[in-house]
Amino acid sequence: MNTLRVAWLYFKVGVMNELQYRVNFFVQLFQSLIQVGTGLVMLSLVYSHTTELNGWKESELLSLLGVQILLGGFIHTFIQPNMELLMQDVQQGTLDYALTKPEDAQILVSVRQVRIWQIVEVISGLVLLIVGLTGVETSIGVVDALVFAFALGIGGVLVYCFWLILTIGAFWVVRIEHVLELFEGVYQTGRWPVGVYPGWLRYSVTFLVPVAFAVTVPAEALTSRLHWPTLALSVGFGIVLFGFTRWFWRFGLRNYSGASA
Amino acid sequence: MSSRAAPLPEEGRLRSLVDFYGTQMRTSVVAQLQYRVANYFYMVGMVAEPVIYLVVWSTIARQHGGAINGITAGQFAAYYIVWTLVRNMNIVFGAPFWEWRIREGRLAGDLLRPLNILHYDLAYFAGWKFVVVAMWLPIAIALSAVFHPDLHPSALQIVVFIVAIWGAYLVRSMFQATIGMLNFWTTRGAAVFDLYMATEMLLSGRLVPLRLMPGWVQTLADFLPFKWTFGFPIESLVSDMSTRSLLLGLGAQVMWTAIGYVLFTFAWRAAIKRFSAVGA
Amino acid sequence: MPESVVHVNELTKIFKVPERDPGLRAAAKALVHRKTREVHAVEAISFDIEPGEVVGFLGPNGAGKTTTLKMLAGLLYPTSGEARVLGHVPSRREKDYLRRMTMVMGNRNQLQWDIPALDSFELYRAIYRLRREDYLAMRDELVELLDVGDLVRKPVRNLSLGERMKVEIVGSLLHRPQVLFLDEPTIGLDVTMQKRIRTFVAEYNKRHGATVLLTSHYMADVEALCKRVIVIHHGRILFDGALASLANEFAAYKTIGVLLENGNAELDGYGEVISRDGDRAILRVPKAETSRVAARLLSEHEVLDLTIEEPPIEDVIEMVFAQSR
Repeated sequence: MNTLRVAWLYFKVGVMNELQYRVNFFVQLFQSLIQVGTGLVMLSLVYSHTTELNGWKESELLSLLGVQILLGGFIHTFIQPNMELLMQDVQQGTLDYALTKPEDAQILVSVRQVRIWQIVEVISGLVLLIVGLTGVETSIGVVDALVFAFALGIGGVLVYCFWLILTIGAFWVVRIEHVLELFEGVYQTGRWPVGVYPGWLRYSVTFLVPVAFAVTVPAEALTSRLHWPTLALSVGFGIVLFGFTRWFWRFGLRNYSGASA
Repeated sequence: MSSRAAPLPEEGRLRSLVDFYGTQMRTSVVAQLQYRVANYFYMVGMVAEPVIYLVVWSTIARQHGGAINGITAGQFAAYYIVWTLVRNMNIVFGAPFWEWRIREGRLAGDLLRPLNILHYDLAYFAGWKFVVVAMWLPIAIALSAVFHPDLHPSALQIVVFIVAIWGAYLVRSMFQATIGMLNFWTTRGAAVFDLYMATEMLLSGRLVPLRLMPGWVQTLADFLPFKWTFGFPIESLVSDMSTRSLLLGLGAQVMWTAIGYVLFTFAWRAAIKRFSAVGA
Repeated sequence: MPESVVHVNELTKIFKVPERDPGLRAAAKALVHRKTREVHAVEAISFDIEPGEVVGFLGPNGAGKTTTLKMLAGLLYPTSGEARVLGHVPSRREKDYLRRMTMVMGNRNQLQWDIPALDSFELYRAIYRLRREDYLAMRDELVELLDVGDLVRKPVRNLSLGERMKVEIVGSLLHRPQVLFLDEPTIGLDVTMQKRIRTFVAEYNKRHGATVLLTSHYMADVEALCKRVIVIHHGRILFDGALASLANEFAAYKTIGVLLENGNAELDGYGEVISRDGDRAILRVPKAETSRVAARLLSEHEVLDLTIEEPPIEDVIEMVFAQSR
């Protein structure tokens, strides 16, 4: 498809741009190490006082941490830069540049920017995940790994939709960036099994801000906790949300173009 | 030379300084009230962090017969809810702000006036705190309704607490200002700042009450300034501290403020030398 | 003997500017070995300024004007040489010195953004330790002189560029400084506003006997305010003296503008023909010969109109720079 090719080109240009700033690699490495370090300290502290949390053992929680950081890195690399740029465009009225290109605008605004050095965060999450998995008792089969990848993909889609929906909100509520700042704080809930949270919080981080589906479900796949209904719900939710996002994008665009006429 | 060219007479130093703080604090309140929405969102976002810690530790406490190291779930709730107030109080003009100040060219203006640079920031943020505390109250009530904190402070504890949160503000201002000086040499000061924040998180009582940390960490924390910016103020209200330790704690805050101030003065002199050599 | 307000002797400022080639290898090398280039912004300049003078610093971008002013204000440390203002060494940034001087930089904001200027003025009152009555008198005088009475109650961010500049000037003069450093104060402002500020500076100087050092791109600023100019180029002083004699020294000519009946007349013999447009011509003629050439023109041709003018200062300055190369 032509759109995919254009998307790939944008991606390449974005990466080339960022690669120039090689110092950023070391800065990012340093910051990722600090992030991993503090996460590990918290984990070991928790497990110095208990042997399991909500049924999760230390190495399982380590895997969960790995997934959270891995997905977080993905968000910081691909999703966040684009959403921030989109919001900026809406606020400054420069969105028209993207809209007048012949390709599908939604794909364009979703892939034009890449913070390539944040990949380090993805890798550090992956490393943690693997280390965690080596300590997990039950062995991981190919099926488990595939389900994990699939669930992670759905999780990525969910987070993308969430961000895009909020950013589209900028068409109406110009100062939406405050709401997006909340995301980082709420995303931290993903480091712990969703079961520890009181009911209202659990529902919030499952459906309101889809952290649980994005992080816990894939981790459950690898630690043999995943129940088919949960996965099915995740997939269903993903499809519905994606459809809604698509519609909402079109709706917002119509509104926006109307306003600037 | 015309007599009109003589300088104007001066008011007393102390009186003018108090005057400055009063005026600046008043204007910060007015200015920040205009940014109510932004302030609110920031505070709500900040609540996620302690709520997570609270939930995790309460879960563990309940699993182990109600308490860990003597701290019950209700006491964890108290700790982390008071945490939110202390956190709001110890937000200061930090390293990222220094980067902004230098980049926007505002530093030259401040250097041209006969006032120690710290006063600008201390006064501005001090005024802001009043707006922050007023906005925090409903959040605290909401959190208390959900998590049922176990909190029975004595009158002395409350007084010490009120003094201690301002002490935390001063200690943190001094040390963050010192780190902010790095921005005069590099644009990557953010990396060092992250390291400082991570260290502070572990050694200040921000992550967990220091009582839950291994012994050697607690000893280490006693010799560093971090504990006095977070853990001590919280514990002064939440735990059962003796009068002696409460007063010693306040004394420690005074000491660390002085140390931080001295460090800042040295760093500032070096920074200005560099600023004046390299150019505005 | 009264000491001069500003005393500058062999003042020099050399900047070390880092230089780096592109590429990864050069970047790695740069971590270990810094390559720097020296920029001589100001080269051993000397001058003295007496109390109450209004002196203009002229020069192209990068000439060293702003650097000189910043050294005198204490924002930059000199590399060598001596500078004293009001008896103080500026780089020491003594509080007593700061209370007696002010620096206004065009296009820079020092007032707080979100609050009315009036509130920022109160802050300055406390910072400069002014007595209430002195502050009010000075504030009201400045507000009236610059006609900003209704502007000072609005938050600064709501003001236009010109309005902001006026209000910034009020703020910077509340403590009635004896020395004013004005760095491009009228830059980016419209003509009316520029005139306003010029009149104001002249009035302030008259009322309070303050010494003013001014840099500007706009010749109109210098012509309106400064009897004395210092021309700086490549960090060196090319001229230091009365504005009037600047023309005499570097551009000892006048321009004759003439409108002739016969547009084809041969004019080369009278002087340098700068421009020719149909019946109109402009000639450049040595000062001493002006009346003689004018008389010749009038007698030898049908002249419908004739004007004699001093060379525009811009041209004079250009000649100064051209000669210095």
